[in-house]
Amino acid sequence: MDNPAATRTLSLFGHLYLVLMLIVIAGILTAALIMQYIFGELPCPLCLLQRVAMFGVCFAVILGLRQGDTARTTGLGLVISIFLLVVAVRQTLLDIYPRPGHEYIGSAVLGLHMPVWSVLIAVALIAGYALKLTIFGDSEHRPDLASYPALQRIAAAVSLYVIVLCAINLGSVVVQCGLDECHTTGYRLLEKMR
Amino acid sequence: MMTAIFATMFLALLVLWLGRRAIAIGLLAICLALSVWLFLFEIYSPDYGFRMPWLQTERTAPAAAQRG
Repeated sequence: MDNPAATRTLSLFGHLYLVLMLIVIAGILTAALIMQYIFGELPCPLCLLQRVAMFGVCFAVILGLRQGDTARTTGLGLVISIFLLVVAVRQTLLDIYPRPGHEYIGSAVLGLHMPVWSVLIAVALIAGYALKLTIFGDSEHRPDLASYPALQRIAAAVSLYVIVLCAINLGSVVVQCGLDECHTTGYRLLEKMR
Repeated sequence: MMTAIFATMFLALLVLWLGRRAIAIGLLAICLALSVWLFLFEIYSPDYGFRMPWLQTERTAPAAAQRG
């Protein structure tokens, strides 16, 4: 694109798109923590792997925001989104068939269970990346995020929030699983201390 | 294993925040490799793995033969 003003506008909206993606994923991860600690729903191993995949997508977005949004960072986000989709579909297929003692993990939110929400989130992420590529193309030679100080501050704050969320999840996993397999029966370390 | 996965993911995000891109990507690669390994373990482990009983993958004897 030869027009500098148009290039700058496209770059601004490209960065804004990534920041909004990061805010949405951070919101989903916050909701997962609220379900765990307020409603007492312990995550299963596959649920935790889905959280890891969402943090991975956050990593790809933060990498794009901090080091420049390239085809590689988009590809990384897509690969991790596909991993999220595979794990979520696997869990949905596991729970779709009623078995004694193995009901759907967690309660339904707006009529859908968590793994089904994960499938929708993964599809939305893949669609989001496809839309980003279609609208903004490769933004390798466009102004970076430092050209927009206000947006850069917002991106830094949300990135820091994602890191704090990951730290809370790490602590939670240590208490729930210790160094062994994870189970949804309770917090392993707390049970040992009793 | 899950603890190791979350620890490497946390370190990857933290190192990326500190600006060490190459190390961060290396940590993310380790995290993803461990995640894929654990996912496959969950599927195939005879003790801890999950099965999908509605997907019949083994040949079974006909009902008449079972009745003898």
